[in-house]
Amino acid sequence: MSAEAQAPRALNGQAPDVFTPGGWVPMREYGEEEVDFLIVGTGAGGGTLACKLAEAGFSVVAMDAGAYWRPLEDFASDEHEQGKLYWNDDRIVDGDNPLKLGANNSGKAVGGSTVHYMMVSLRFRPEWFKSRSKLGYGVDWPLDWREMWTYYREVEEALSISGPVTYPWGPKRPRYPYRAHPLNGPARYLVEGAEKLGIQWTETPIATLSAPRGKAHPCVYRGFCMAGCSTNAKQSALNTWLPRALSAGAEIRDLAMAGRIESREGRVTGVHYRREGEWRFQKAKNVVVAGYAVETPRLLLNSASPECPDGLANSSGLVGKNLMVHLNQSVFGRTQDDARFYKAPPSLAVSEHWNYEDAGKDYHGGWCYMPPGPLAASWARLVAGKGLWGQDLLDEMHRYNNAVGLKMVGEVLPYERNQVTLTDQADEYGLPVPRITFSYGENEQAMIRHALGFMDQALDVVGITDRWQNPDETAHLLGTARMGSDPATSVVDADCRSWDIPNLWICDGSVFPTSGGVNPSLTIQAIACRTGDRIAELARRGEL
Amino acid sequence: MPGLPQPSDKAARLIAGGASLVASSVLADAGIEHYRGSFENRAMVLPLAGSALSILTDTRLALGARASGGTGALAMSVHAANVAIGAAGLGFHVYNILKQPGGFTFGNVFYHAPIAAPAALMVAGTLGATALALGKGASRLGPVPLASGRSLAGFAAFALAGTSAEAAVFHFRGAYHNPFMWVPVVVPPIAALALGKAAVTGTVGRITNPALTATAVLGFAGAAFHAYGVSRNMGGWRNWRQNLIVGPPIPAPPSFTGIAIAGLGALLLMRRFARG
Repeated sequence: MSAEAQAPRALNGQAPDVFTPGGWVPMREYGEEEVDFLIVGTGAGGGTLACKLAEAGFSVVAMDAGAYWRPLEDFASDEHEQGKLYWNDDRIVDGDNPLKLGANNSGKAVGGSTVHYMMVSLRFRPEWFKSRSKLGYGVDWPLDWREMWTYYREVEEALSISGPVTYPWGPKRPRYPYRAHPLNGPARYLVEGAEKLGIQWTETPIATLSAPRGKAHPCVYRGFCMAGCSTNAKQSALNTWLPRALSAGAEIRDLAMAGRIESREGRVTGVHYRREGEWRFQKAKNVVVAGYAVETPRLLLNSASPECPDGLANSSGLVGKNLMVHLNQSVFGRTQDDARFYKAPPSLAVSEHWNYEDAGKDYHGGWCYMPPGPLAASWARLVAGKGLWGQDLLDEMHRYNNAVGLKMVGEVLPYERNQVTLTDQADEYGLPVPRITFSYGENEQAMIRHALGFMDQALDVVGITDRWQNPDETAHLLGTARMGSDPATSVVDADCRSWDIPNLWICDGSVFPTSGGVNPSLTIQAIACRTGDRIAELARRGEL
Repeated sequence: MPGLPQPSDKAARLIAGGASLVASSVLADAGIEHYRGSFENRAMVLPLAGSALSILTDTRLALGARASGGTGALAMSVHAANVAIGAAGLGFHVYNILKQPGGFTFGNVFYHAPIAAPAALMVAGTLGATALALGKGASRLGPVPLASGRSLAGFAAFALAGTSAEAAVFHFRGAYHNPFMWVPVVVPPIAALALGKAAVTGTVGRITNPALTATAVLGFAGAAFHAYGVSRNMGGWRNWRQNLIVGPPIPAPPSFTGIAIAGLGALLLMRRFARG
């Protein structure tokens, strides 16, 4: 359904209560009055920051282009229906390796892609924050890992992350708030393979509950995580940060598509957005763009003005540049017994061995691997993509219970040529459709070769037969408005404040200077928590 | 003096009552958990049969029936069998954990055969046998002297500590998300210490009785808390067929009550012995 055909729910002083079918919670409304912060996007970055800022006492309006769902009643066990959670608007992709956009790298809902994320909540390896000076590739972040360690902790506690009692890699970290989940079938194969190959593994720290928390139930291992969790066990922005934001006085506007940020005399003044079929304007003292690595640069570029002809915050020319993804290649094969890899959160075990081990690599960067658990239709598409059709495809689907695999999350280096630009084509809102250009470099090809070979071996040693490789998948979108310590080579500073416009902030995956070999949601939220604290601190000092 | 109450009958009845409660806890808990495990190994029915028979004999004794001659011998063999089944169960459960990928890890201890649960059947058997022996007026169970109550006090203290350790492990698994989850890892060890001290010194301290009584009460309260825990799973009690299995085990906490009651029986023996 197009967003235009849906009706907003967060209206008339109330917002949907995500914990109660048909329920409502009170919501403060600001009307058109100028607010302290207008946040565009309510996912891992925007949702988290909305909570932090509202709790710090600022007036906050957070808007999202997507709908405000109540998971208990709105989410079906149906992959097709749940496509409603993805950002499937028109986009043009090109480059040597055009990205597949949608399910695996976007979200269009209040809560953003955390509503259907895989919940894998890994911390960055500390050296990655200084990968140029410590590891010799990419660029340094302006952040210190020890400070990030405390913000990671804040997020882990806010989401009651279930994780192992002790973590085998990196500097000591506190115990995860909740205990790890039982291993599902494919995770057991990962563990056995890792033990046979003599590398370490652990239960994946994951944002789904292993014990009750407030009104949220513990995970029932239904396995529809990537299509949205219908039990609220998944700890998303939708059911963690946003309820907190609401009770702290934030307003959330669902089905509100930001089109253009207004600016004047070196400051932004508000955002033009479309809701209920009409364009409106919200005034704000500060604007935070948190639309993820395609929509964020798109909005900044589309807000070009005579003062900023190349788009807002773009004096470095880097808005839209250095787009990164994660390598998400996989190896699949067949077990003798039932593995049922579609049950439970798929990625319940992980090996970060190749994130922390640098020896023996002919490339820069790291990768981890976990078992994937494609749902039936996705699996059918995947195996049909191998050329199976007719009876062969039916036979393969009959063996769905016996399929297992391993999937990498691998670091992609920042290249300026990988970028988001605007086209002349207009979308349903009349906004320019973005063009996303992406190509692997030699480094990525080398990492893929190594990872596919290693994962193949890890499946071979535990007796997985009929193995085949899926060499062409990516996940996540990062890095089109990078943070840094030099205005000439970055878009925002360590506080996510744009160098060019002091009341314009960017807070999502686009600020990543490098991508790291882990899923980004925990780091995005940690950055948002830090940004929230920094903004409160700057306000106290009168530096906003 | 056939037909007249034996001097230790009241203690025997109390201990038999405790044994019966522990056996009931085992029957219900192993019933649910082994059903969940689809009775994959046929031996998984043994603790159900053993605990059921134990309930019968213990309850008879608790209600004041005399066990003598053939029935007494039969009852004693039930208790002996339960100790043996429990011991074998411990072995099986440890084996079940060790054969999992990763071996002896927190994850496998949390989610595979509960490592110490079969010991509850050994406790039920030992308490049942003790009650039976006392009911017959015997002053010893095998080589173990019973009359002073100290050996039973020591055993009950050990059983309480073990049960509390098991609660500690599984409440850690639940991340102590509810502060009441600390109660069974705090109160029973106090009772166990007091009772253990009584066993060693032969004198009963002031807090022993209240601590045991509190432990007995929290066993039942624990079942109520676990019922609430079941309700906090997806679908609540309407989805009882699933949530009884995945939620906290409702039948487990009353084993605290059973052991605490047996401990109170031991105190009775000790006081009586002290009076001569």
